[in-house]
Amino acid sequence: MAAIISAEGVGKVFQQRVSQPGILGAIRSFVAPVTRPVHAVADITFSIAAGEAVGYLGPNGAGKSTMIKMLTGILTPSVGEVTVLGRKPQQERVANARDIGVVFGQRTQLWWDLPLSDSFELHRRLYRVPDALFSKNRAALSDMMELTSFIERPVRHLSLGQRMRAEIAMALMHDPKILFLDEPTIGLDVVAKDVVRKFLSRINRERGTTIILTTHDLQDIEEICPRLIMVDEGRLLFDGTLPALRKSFGARRRLTLEFSGDPGEVRLVGARPSGGEGLLREFLLEDDGRSLVQLLAALEASSDVRDVRLHEPSIEEVIRTHYQSKGSAPAPVTGRPAVPA
Amino acid sequence: MRETLSLLFYLVRLRVRTRLEFRASLVIAWTAQGFGYAGVFTSIWIILTRFENIGGWSWPQMALFLGFHTLGYALGACFTLVQLRGMEEIVRGGEFDMLLVRPINPWAYLVFSGFNIEYGGHILLGLGLIVWALPQVGIVWSLPSALMLFGGLISSAFITASCITVVSACALVLQRARYLFGLYFDFWELSRYPASIFAPVFQLALLTVIPLGYMAYVPVSVLLGRPVPYLGAFAPFASLAAGPLAVLAAAAFWRFCLRRYQGGGG
Repeated sequence: MAAIISAEGVGKVFQQRVSQPGILGAIRSFVAPVTRPVHAVADITFSIAAGEAVGYLGPNGAGKSTMIKMLTGILTPSVGEVTVLGRKPQQERVANARDIGVVFGQRTQLWWDLPLSDSFELHRRLYRVPDALFSKNRAALSDMMELTSFIERPVRHLSLGQRMRAEIAMALMHDPKILFLDEPTIGLDVVAKDVVRKFLSRINRERGTTIILTTHDLQDIEEICPRLIMVDEGRLLFDGTLPALRKSFGARRRLTLEFSGDPGEVRLVGARPSGGEGLLREFLLEDDGRSLVQLLAALEASSDVRDVRLHEPSIEEVIRTHYQSKGSAPAPVTGRPAVPA
Repeated sequence: MRETLSLLFYLVRLRVRTRLEFRASLVIAWTAQGFGYAGVFTSIWIILTRFENIGGWSWPQMALFLGFHTLGYALGACFTLVQLRGMEEIVRGGEFDMLLVRPINPWAYLVFSGFNIEYGGHILLGLGLIVWALPQVGIVWSLPSALMLFGGLISSAFITASCITVVSACALVLQRARYLFGLYFDFWELSRYPASIFAPVFQLALLTVIPLGYMAYVPVSVLLGRPVPYLGAFAPFASLAAGPLAVLAAAAFWRFCLRRYQGGGG
């Protein structure tokens, strides 16, 4: 499928004031300020096809928000080129804005003191949504996000979860081709997070809306985004699927065997013992594609296995593994070519 | 175009509805502003009754001047001041980013969504002073003088909105603008008096780089047939042209700063 978003060697440099210590330093800074370039985004290349759901992941200060701002037309790249739906977002900001939806988890687009329905009506006028389409979308999205019971209530009386559901529904009211979400589940309780994740997954699946999501909650990505792009210190670390990430970053599946009696020393071909005591034994499995049945078949026939548990490493574990070993890691890992298959 | 105007009008309606949600605070704001202005005008009246005139301006002439200044300012500020004065917070809090992802000019959105009906008190006060003073200052009414009155008021409102826009636009680049508003209001205080009472350098400044002299001094002088230093016979034209020229300059400066915007918070 053709790419609708592409970033080619994109970089963004900000000039940051260097503060000097002490009162003399403060005076020197005042008279002759010294600045240093900060590379918020450095040489990033990727492309995203229509209908994809992509998680944009990285620690604080990794350059996630800066990249989202360049894609949505807020900022211009210092180097390289960003195109969204064939346009340069900042040069054609208004046209770009009509075709995208944006949700910033920590900022609201709703009118605080007025009923939710007024914000929706303003959105209709802003995006020039035809009446019939607006009525259809409003009814469908209100139903999917369960907004009907509070749609006439002032926004200031809504809970954070209700507001976020409303924000996301509103961002989709004009049928955007791409939905950008910056930390959409931040601060939500477990139930609200679940509603939001299921909704986004459904929107991506049923409407084919392309989703770009930044988050710190890795479960968001596991449930919504088959593909993830991982950045750190402005640079691209990884671009690919979740299984490829696990493979690239060396996180292993963990197998726990529970025996009926003391098994003594247990050997399992293709697995490395990693702990366990008493009746339990744990192994880290090599990423060689073997199934659980194949692994267990390698156990000695006399083994009295009572229970078996296979633990897939979460993204969190994968990333933690990566950051913990970052000091010793010689080079960044890339698991996928820039252009998706 | 019709859709844009309808959208801007809808933003004003939303803002007015929001403000009317809190009736008590609105009435308190109107009353407080009325008292604030009444205090300033009373002090000017006391000076005038003590010295009979200020730089040759009698109390009815000064009342017309102050009414013109208050009304022109209120018409410009009701669209701009409250929201653009907070531009520093809007930028640093990331709210401006949110405006840039909407298919609308961010200035227009800010201005119309922040329309402030609290200026109702200013407008009533300004109108009241003008209506009281006009019959007493002996203006010979004609089409040019009527044009001067209404055109001058619109020009005055444009100058106010332009100055506030220019100051707020600095926040897009510097992320700071509040101290510049302090500076603006220092000069604005000067423009509450006829420029002719100040030293020539201030007169010149108020008619050129800080065009606040066109808010009331020049148009009211023209209406009263008083000479205007430096402008002479050019004063009527300058008075009407100052507002639109200030708007063009402010729009260019806003665009200049917007192109250099590097984001705020987050």
